[in-house]
Amino acid sequence: MKNAVAMQDKIQMRDRTPIITKVILTCVFALGLAIIAMGYAGMQEYSASGFSSESGYGAVYVLSGEVADAWSKKLEPQLAALAADERTALDEAVSHLLLSAWESQKKGASADVDAALEGAQGPARSELEYKLLYATYLVNGPKVSTANKKAIAAIPAQRATAFRQALLAGIIDDGAAVPEEAAKAVGDLTGEERQAMLMQVYFVSNDASNSRATDQVNTLKKGVRDKAVQLHAFRMIAKGEVSWIWQLVVSNSRTAILVGIIIALDALLLALLMMGDKTWIVDFKWIIILLIVDFLLLFQLMPLIYMVIKAFFPDSEFSLETFKRLYTYSLNLDALKNTLIAACATMVLGTLLAFPLAWLVGRTNLYGKKFFRALFVLTYMVPPYVGAMAWLRLLNPNVGTINQWMRVLFHLSDAPGPLNVYSLPGMIWVLTSFYYPYAFITISRAMEKMDPSLEEASRISGGTPLKTLFTVTLPMMMPSLISGALLVFVSAASCYGIPSIIGSPGRVHTVTTRIVEYVALGQQGLNDATGMAVFLMAMAVIILFVSDVVLAKRQYITVSGKSVRPAIVDLRRWRIPLTVLVSLFAVVVILIPFATIFSTSFKIDVGKSMFQTDNFTLSNWKTVFGRVETMNSLKNSLLFAAVTATVGIVIACVMSYLLQRTRVRGRKIPDFLITLGSGTPSVVIALGLIMTMKGNFGINIYNTAYIMIIAYMIKYLMMGMRTVVSAMSQIHVSLEECSQISGASWMRTMFKITGPLIFPSIAAGWFLIFIPSFYELSMTTLLYSSTTKTIGFQLYEYWTFTSQPMSCAMAFGILLIVVLLNFVLNRLTKGEFSI
Amino acid sequence: MATVTIKHITKAFGDNVVLKEFNETFQEGEFITLLGPSGCGKTTMLRIIAGFEKPTTGELYIDDQLVSGGKTFIPPEKRSIGMVFQSYAVWPHMNVFDNVAYPLTIKKVNKAEIKKNVERVLEIVHLSQYAQRFPNQLSGGQQQRVALARALVAAPKLLLLDEPLSNLDAKLRESMRFEIKEIQRQLGITVVYVTHDQTEAMAMSDRIFLINRGVVQQSGTPQEIYNSPANQFVADFLGKVDFFKGEAKDGRIVFPGMDHQSIPYDGPRTGKVEVAVRPENIYFTENGVLSGVLEAQYYLGDVDDCRVRVGDTLVRVIANGYEFKNLKEGQKVSLGVRDIMVFEDDGLLEQMLKIQT
Repeated sequence: MKNAVAMQDKIQMRDRTPIITKVILTCVFALGLAIIAMGYAGMQEYSASGFSSESGYGAVYVLSGEVADAWSKKLEPQLAALAADERTALDEAVSHLLLSAWESQKKGASADVDAALEGAQGPARSELEYKLLYATYLVNGPKVSTANKKAIAAIPAQRATAFRQALLAGIIDDGAAVPEEAAKAVGDLTGEERQAMLMQVYFVSNDASNSRATDQVNTLKKGVRDKAVQLHAFRMIAKGEVSWIWQLVVSNSRTAILVGIIIALDALLLALLMMGDKTWIVDFKWIIILLIVDFLLLFQLMPLIYMVIKAFFPDSEFSLETFKRLYTYSLNLDALKNTLIAACATMVLGTLLAFPLAWLVGRTNLYGKKFFRALFVLTYMVPPYVGAMAWLRLLNPNVGTINQWMRVLFHLSDAPGPLNVYSLPGMIWVLTSFYYPYAFITISRAMEKMDPSLEEASRISGGTPLKTLFTVTLPMMMPSLISGALLVFVSAASCYGIPSIIGSPGRVHTVTTRIVEYVALGQQGLNDATGMAVFLMAMAVIILFVSDVVLAKRQYITVSGKSVRPAIVDLRRWRIPLTVLVSLFAVVVILIPFATIFSTSFKIDVGKSMFQTDNFTLSNWKTVFGRVETMNSLKNSLLFAAVTATVGIVIACVMSYLLQRTRVRGRKIPDFLITLGSGTPSVVIALGLIMTMKGNFGINIYNTAYIMIIAYMIKYLMMGMRTVVSAMSQIHVSLEECSQISGASWMRTMFKITGPLIFPSIAAGWFLIFIPSFYELSMTTLLYSSTTKTIGFQLYEYWTFTSQPMSCAMAFGILLIVVLLNFVLNRLTKGEFSI
Repeated sequence: MATVTIKHITKAFGDNVVLKEFNETFQEGEFITLLGPSGCGKTTMLRIIAGFEKPTTGELYIDDQLVSGGKTFIPPEKRSIGMVFQSYAVWPHMNVFDNVAYPLTIKKVNKAEIKKNVERVLEIVHLSQYAQRFPNQLSGGQQQRVALARALVAAPKLLLLDEPLSNLDAKLRESMRFEIKEIQRQLGITVVYVTHDQTEAMAMSDRIFLINRGVVQQSGTPQEIYNSPANQFVADFLGKVDFFKGEAKDGRIVFPGMDHQSIPYDGPRTGKVEVAVRPENIYFTENGVLSGVLEAQYYLGDVDDCRVRVGDTLVRVIANGYEFKNLKEGQKVSLGVRDIMVFEDDGLLEQMLKIQT
């Protein structure tokens, strides 16, 4: 019954709402445009005013209110009480004081004063003069000490009138005695200076809201570029009131424009969505989509677009100057070359390693293949800079452990070498050993999903296992193989941790290290950094397009509901040799580096063995975990990562619901933006945020924790989202429908059915956002402030400036936390997930 | 063209024994069907023949050559077998021609020969005009026929089909059924066909092997196993059947559940028995052996599906419309019974049937 009524209501709503909705939408759109227009006008006025800060310009409006208030409520009544001749004398004194005050600021001030008074006559002129003087003295009058100000403010009300009258008399008559408080301020001043001081004391005694005015005056002073601007400000203050809306708009014109654009854009987007829907009923889901889209537009798209614009329009005119300057500088050109060479080599090497490993682990009867699989995937969760540190310890040309061994083994001289990690090949090796898991995961996932009968069909047709591998398995895997390879390429090219630890000391620069160096150089550096970042971004976007659009269309392997049991190839006599080979690889790439980190953390002299006498110490660990700064940065890391992961997973759940359970138009827009965000190199995201979030667009979160959390979210949100989306796609919608038909509300269904079913994936998604945010380095390097240092950055600082054994202790601590989290995740999801 | 000899083959995955003591010979040119509910071991047997699984014990011969058993194992690619998979397994990165030509290219047959042969088999499966298409441009049925053509192109002596029709819709399934049978007749090839669909098995097979829980329950021509099932499971799996518990003595079977009414019986069994009757073998008649009350009747078009209460038992009767035009629900009726199957009541019936439900 209830439903029937509701249905009828809905039908009636349908008849009415289109027009109402259209009208509302148009109004909202118009409102947005109006706000933009106002913001634009405010910005025009501001930029014409010559002020250097918006808030300083805004202070003009506040102060003008103060002055007008003081005039109408206090000065005017007091002056009206004066005798006519006294008044005339005072007026003359004010004109005189005004002129001399302005002359002290600028030559030819009389003309300026005349212009300021705009030929006003009689009482109007006199009023303006008083106000102008008041404004001038507010900002730039004779100094009254704070103690005096307090004494003046403390004068009881019944004496105040007499006090002020005495002051005015003192101004008119040079010889008249003044009250005690004023005398103190005047001191031994005479003549005009005495007059000016008395005038100022008079103004001060009338200024009730002293403290507020002081703040505004300070703000105004900060916004003033030169004396002409200051005089202009006095003139404006004296001119009088402006409405509070205008004041708000002028002092926040950029924010206004931004808000206006978002409102207008949202209205437009909503209209477009509704046009497709035809019913014109506001769907709550759209509001959620819009909120997510707004967030991403503001913090992801706008910074990126701004950066591109800055790179191509360095001085608001199109010019390739930035690029020309950058790439004629050989250091940058080398960085570019190094990045491309390193990324290509890492891609080729990584894929060549990953494919056979994935095949051996996934499709053969290799011994211990489950263990190996877990091991290779685990490397994915290790911060790359930790690997860099380990390999540095192993392959340092002088004291690297492997080098020392090789010298002994091959009877080489004591000269440095034979291997040198501080080189392009050294960097490529370390990049490969940390990015091949990306390809490994992509490829082995595709291998596991492949229908085994496709290979069996080849076998029964007469193809040997090897022939089958090359004619069926490999070609079918090609799209996954290429997208895995591209992932390695883009990750290696946008990696900062490894090049900064290995490349910088060896003067092997890359685009990312150059960007970070440029950012440290201030404004010009920022502009140059955009030039490099645009290159990195263009590369990432092209690769994202290729792997998500071009390759996805050629993707043969799709997820099927059926569980497939891959055909296992019997390695026969190769089984033991291949197992040995894979074990050797694991030892070299995983065990030795981690063991190095571990042992270094107990060393005093890093060049000697841990077991040598007097070279074992626990002090590194004690120091690292005893220091307040490291503990603070650990707390920061945990907090930022937890906030990022929690907010991120909520968005991920909402997005998954939208993508999997609704047919709402426009649900792909945020999905696209999130994918784009995760594909954008970290350094580029951070750079974009730096350039746009320091107040120049009305949002100032520079140097705060927010900017870091937002950066992490943009980069890692997709990891969480994909996990939840794929879990939800596995749950047939009928399970939810069945709950609803049983009488459960939508909310109840979500909490009782869908929630519990996908909980493991939600937990996994949370950890997938948490872990990389926890030890993040590339973005943090650009975004940290003294209070928001994270453990990753702290470790980097220790490594570079303090002590390598101590940073190894920290690195091992980070590893322990990651492994521990992985264990928790495994338990929490009953073994279904681990990383 | 090929014989397959299976000697004492047993297959276990860990502790789970999926095939027990399979012992049989498939003759040249025979159409053999391995029939059974899912999980019964029929696909495992097929995969052992193909060489995708190794038997735990026992030996397999194709044409008197030992292919699996003891230390001998010939891999699938050396067995010269054609096979069609349940999921078709048509390679998505090759067009129809290349898919079908694959077995011949592996044999390094020359190009002209390949072209001739591929065109010949594509002709057989009616796909000649689709040679240049890619699998994603084909329907399920067409992909199915590509898989069949690929299995036939190298003229194998033995063709294995693993539930090839289960992913097709009902109409297509029926027509493909006869096409496959027709191709087999033309080529005179030995076929081993795996299915869980009894109608499919009946329509196509020379011999059916009905398997349950890894054990062959009965083998024989479709008629033999339909009409003379070896046990309750076979009777139940093929066609519709109802079971009634009774006692055989003095040339009659008495049913305690039917107010001790009885039917005549001249078979050898005595004591407690299970009587299996197909509903189409119970009919309305003037002077039947059982009497009861018509409780419900459902019109199904060609026949009527009725329920008659005899004592405490509901008896299902499938009758064609003529015999009881004037019968009404609630009316007393008399039933005749023919072609009964009588089994010993060993108390295992429930257990045997459990696997199906």
